[in-house]
Amino acid sequence: MSIMEYNGGSVIAMVGKDCVAIASDLRLGVQSLSISSNFQKIFPVTDRIYVGLPGLASDVTTLHEQFRYRVNMYTIKEEREIEPQTFAQMVSSTLYERRFGPYFIEPVIAGMQRTPSGSYEPFIAATDLIGCLNFAKDFVVAGTASSELFGAAEGLWEPDLEAEDLFETISQTLLNAVDRDTFSGWGAVVHVMTKDKVITRTLKGRMD
Amino acid sequence: MPDGSFSHPQQRSFNPYTENGGTILAIAGADFTVIAGDTRQSEGYSIQTRYAPKVFRLTDRAVLAVNGFAADGNMFVKKVKQRLEWYRHAHAKDMPLRAIARLIQTMLYAQRFFPYYVYNILGGIEEDGTGAVYSFDPVGSYEREACRAAGAAQSLVQPFLDNQIYFKNQQAAPGQSHPLHLPLSDVLSIVIDSFTSATERHIEVGDGLEMYVVLAKGRSAQGLEGGRGVQELTTRTDGDRVFVIRRELKKD
Amino acid sequence: MNSLVSRFSTTGPIAELRKAKEVLGDDDEFSDAVWGSEAGFGSLANGVPKFSIPQVPDPSAFLRLHTDDHSDPSCRIKIKHGTTTLAFRFQGGVIVAVDSRASAGSYVASGTVKKVIEINPYLLGTMAGGAADCQYWETYLGIQCRLHELRNRERISVAAASKYLSNLVYSYKGMGLSMGTMICGWDKTGPAVFYVDSDGTRLKGDLFSVGSGSTFAYGVLDQGYRWDLTDEEAQELGRRSIYAAGHRDAYSGNTINLYHVKEDGWKFIGNYDVSKMHYEGPNGVGYGYDIRTEGRSSANPPATQ
Repeated sequence: MSIMEYNGGSVIAMVGKDCVAIASDLRLGVQSLSISSNFQKIFPVTDRIYVGLPGLASDVTTLHEQFRYRVNMYTIKEEREIEPQTFAQMVSSTLYERRFGPYFIEPVIAGMQRTPSGSYEPFIAATDLIGCLNFAKDFVVAGTASSELFGAAEGLWEPDLEAEDLFETISQTLLNAVDRDTFSGWGAVVHVMTKDKVITRTLKGRMD
Repeated sequence: MPDGSFSHPQQRSFNPYTENGGTILAIAGADFTVIAGDTRQSEGYSIQTRYAPKVFRLTDRAVLAVNGFAADGNMFVKKVKQRLEWYRHAHAKDMPLRAIARLIQTMLYAQRFFPYYVYNILGGIEEDGTGAVYSFDPVGSYEREACRAAGAAQSLVQPFLDNQIYFKNQQAAPGQSHPLHLPLSDVLSIVIDSFTSATERHIEVGDGLEMYVVLAKGRSAQGLEGGRGVQELTTRTDGDRVFVIRRELKKD
Repeated sequence: MNSLVSRFSTTGPIAELRKAKEVLGDDDEFSDAVWGSEAGFGSLANGVPKFSIPQVPDPSAFLRLHTDDHSDPSCRIKIKHGTTTLAFRFQGGVIVAVDSRASAGSYVASGTVKKVIEINPYLLGTMAGGAADCQYWETYLGIQCRLHELRNRERISVAAASKYLSNLVYSYKGMGLSMGTMICGWDKTGPAVFYVDSDGTRLKGDLFSVGSGSTFAYGVLDQGYRWDLTDEEAQELGRRSIYAAGHRDAYSGNTINLYHVKEDGWKFIGNYDVSKMHYEGPNGVGYGYDIRTEGRSSANPPATQ
């Protein structure tokens, strides 16, 4: 069995009008046995950046701690908070350091990027397990249900969705996609980020 | 590569299968069924042809879509058509849809130990006038369903169909319930959107789309007749009717 | 496929038939298929249905290479596998409960598979393993049961029906069939459940669960099973056991199909969504949700003050 499918889990991030949303399922399993319906895969990096880490659960924890360390060092040295674009590059280089013995994670990054004029614009990115970056303008997907997420998102997404509409769209995309994947599901969590706040909602999904 | 030399152990293998990509889908309505498939045939990263039909009319009320290994698919359709012709000569009528479904099961299972690498979807009108879709696995297990996608992009299309046709994960407004069947125009839009989405995100899907619409006897063909890219395959207007609608898909 | 014995033997019914055909000259130009009278299950007069096999030295290895996703998950031909099924007998008959998910690798191919096959109005068969194998051979079993009725003017016993199936799959042993089924019915000896699988095993028993989620179902079933269950308790036990498997096993889920076999035949009790059972249960109390959330939040305060 593939190592990426050992624990299961999926993450998606979508861009809206002056907002971003990032969502994941909550399942942790050991192959076919589901163990936890409360396994967090999306972590706040700063107030304005969230990173989703689908893949091998052991690496989820390790990478979360690694990024926490590196972002803290960055903040101390730079005396300012890290921006999403820079964080994405940091994720890429952290993964490439392990090019020949990689972390089994395909990170998804979502955040609000500061523009030179002082406002914020939505930012999403994803990498593969060795750090190849994908700066998409619409949505990024990762995890065991990535094909299903691609199809559902491609069908449901449209540009310039407001925060509430973006929440509905990303939720429907995630719930319907994970229902077609045996290794994802058991609940979902959605974070919707606008320029001044983040709203986190937990969804009641199928528990099979 | 086995070359007959004595320097290393050799083994010959028989690998008769390949994958030719593409995607098919079928949706059953109250008194119609839509069966669609893209027209690209590929092998690995090469496109073999931009127009290789995967959906075939069997009778005035039955349409079969085949996907997987194109050689097996084309041969299988030929054999099914032959059995249907024998039936027509022996019984002086067309085979009913659920009998065709059972026939397909036994034809596929006859090759249980050397399977046809084909995923079949049979769509059409049942004897009682309702739309029906039967989907099969390569060795013959089958089920009647309301909608099914199969092929390279099935995992992309099926969740979208679950959400739009079955209204999964959607709660109806209080006091109302979701419609059991959708009208033809909605179904056609959903089919076209499914294929354009699949074409965007899957390399083996694209080039062209062929949608077969089977209408039950007595159902009006309004909206279909004379439409852009629409062609009628049946000759009589007083029985079940079959229309083909062709659309372009992205060619990259 | 005819076994080597039937192909090369010079005695026995198949050999007699072969000799008769040689003498009379079978009219091969127009086979029964042309007239549509050869049902897909093969004319039973010709013995066990023949199957074509590839001309390779090891046909079973060929099949395993291309279809067996237990040993090779990246094989091309993904045959849909069925998963959690259970059947148990008690004073009120036989309860048969199954889930409805079919998975092909990690993809959920279908959530509406009918894993209980209605062989005839008083015999049920369950489906686990290869869906096509179960569907096809249990339909064939239905044909054999009807022929038995016509020849013997009485209903076939569950023991005999299960033996037909078990002997049939035994003749294909090693060829790659995958089937784990329970034949359930009520005959002269009372309610009966027989487990039959493609290795040739045939076991009579009170309680069985088959499939990837069977371990989860056994946990609930063993703890709740008694011979003197009432009809409602037995149905609830079957439903709750499949729910447990659907909840924990990734390859099981979607909906539960519940059947009850009584003296006069089987009855379909209902179709229950596993997720709905988790949140709401059959009577408003969720099987999994309430017990985990009660008293854990201000919206759901503890019962004791």
